[in-house]
Amino acid sequence: MVSSGSAISVFAGKVNDLLGTIVEQSVKEPIRYIVNWGRLYALWPVHLETACCSVEFGAASGPRFDLERFGMLEAFGSLRQCDLLVVQGTVTRKMAPRLQWVYEQMPEPKWVIAMGACAISGGLYIDSYNVIQGIDKIIPTDVFIPGCPPRPETLIQGIIELQNKIRRSRVRS
Amino acid sequence: MEVVERQGDYLTMSVGPQHPGSGHMRLIVTVDGDIIVKVKPDPGYVHRGAEKMCEVRTYIQNIPHLERPVIIDSCGILFAYVLAAEELIGVQPPPRAQYIRIIMAELNRIISHMYWLSIYGIFMGHSTMFMWPMGDRELFIDLAASIGGTRVTFSYFIPGGVRNDIPPGFKEKALKTFDYFVKRLKEYEKIYFNNPLVLKRTQGVGVFKREDAISLGVTGPNLRASGVASDTRKDEPYSMYDTIDFDIPTYREGDSYSRAWVRLEEMRESMKIIRQAIDKMEAGPVKQPMRGQIKGKVGEAFARTEAARGTMFYHIVSDGGKFPYRVKISVPSFRNLIAMSHLLEGNRLADMPVIYWGLDYWPVEADR
Repeated sequence: MVSSGSAISVFAGKVNDLLGTIVEQSVKEPIRYIVNWGRLYALWPVHLETACCSVEFGAASGPRFDLERFGMLEAFGSLRQCDLLVVQGTVTRKMAPRLQWVYEQMPEPKWVIAMGACAISGGLYIDSYNVIQGIDKIIPTDVFIPGCPPRPETLIQGIIELQNKIRRSRVRS
Repeated sequence: MEVVERQGDYLTMSVGPQHPGSGHMRLIVTVDGDIIVKVKPDPGYVHRGAEKMCEVRTYIQNIPHLERPVIIDSCGILFAYVLAAEELIGVQPPPRAQYIRIIMAELNRIISHMYWLSIYGIFMGHSTMFMWPMGDRELFIDLAASIGGTRVTFSYFIPGGVRNDIPPGFKEKALKTFDYFVKRLKEYEKIYFNNPLVLKRTQGVGVFKREDAISLGVTGPNLRASGVASDTRKDEPYSMYDTIDFDIPTYREGDSYSRAWVRLEEMRESMKIIRQAIDKMEAGPVKQPMRGQIKGKVGEAFARTEAARGTMFYHIVSDGGKFPYRVKISVPSFRNLIAMSHLLEGNRLADMPVIYWGLDYWPVEADR
């Protein structure tokens, strides 16, 4: 059992850490901090459904989980304005070249999330003749979200991990 | 959308596999101005070789990957497999297990139809229609998860019964949810089905004539929306469906609007079925114990059930070993693909999303 006092002190410690990082970063490298902050909470995902994980992606955009709370918008709109590619499940041999085209058409900076066991390694279909064993063989991948399919909470955790990565990332000219 | 070729007044372009409001499918559409002249579907983006994989897995190992093709209706696709495998293995599920199977299959039908309804809203540009059913769907997911353990992929049906008994207190929770949802469905009727926007977008769009529906081999809600009262649960009762009293909602118009109504009415009927199944269920075991390596006897078996999208058919051939020799899955979505190219011709390009999703075509299921 965690007593309420220690829980509060843990929380206060985390807030202190976070505030410390923000202050340190904004003083040391203000431009990097501001640019990353701007990218962080406005992630536009591409609407590319590769397989059945799209159901849980849809549920995560729904009212119970509500991805928009975490700064990720709904999957609408054109590729040219998107900066996040969530690969939702199995990538087959027929889909793989299309996935590469979609990735190449997106403007920089861009990030890729591999959602589900199939996108990570082929998952349940690892011995199938028509399935690519992991999308990191085709496109560079930032975050891997395990599960078959991942629960919406896991997807949200993956997006928070990606935001942490963006927060630390370098700004290129 | 990418222009493939230009020929006189006609323009051929490729819709998909990446565009808002579609999934893993592609249509090569020839248009004359705004009117679709010809449609050539290009499926196969999610072909994962499920049938071939069945040949190197045992009867039990086949269960998890066979429910992935349509995970919003995972018990619906598994029901037919389990019935056919039971015939080969030679086990009979206890009556309680059969009622629990009916409960799960009908819960999955509601979950699937709710998902369909919410995406239908997106296709019409109606975001409230996405949010409401998606939120109410979570209640049924909670009910199914209390039985099956996970949100969508339960692997719950096994040859010889079901994996575990339903938890105590399920009846009260289910009845409470149903009472809420019946009220909610009335609001859906008011807000969506009598909405001028929805009426304009769906009424008289993609009319499927009765004769065409029969000759193209369409099954399930799409066939019932065209005036054919055909339902495998009534025509060839399997499991315990013959002891349950329910109606088959049928509409005569055959347009996208009546296809939506059929699914709304089906959710009501599903709740009626679950209520009866809970009442008729008696205490007892939920699975037939099986020991040792499970082997199917030499021969073949087939089973036909009514999944959320239509008739699901399995044909399993066994050579007496622990793996099936051949598994053939005949899915309703693939028939809908044939119907889709028939329906789209002569309609406007702007009506394409409504017709496409109105048929409830699920590409993962069609490609297998």
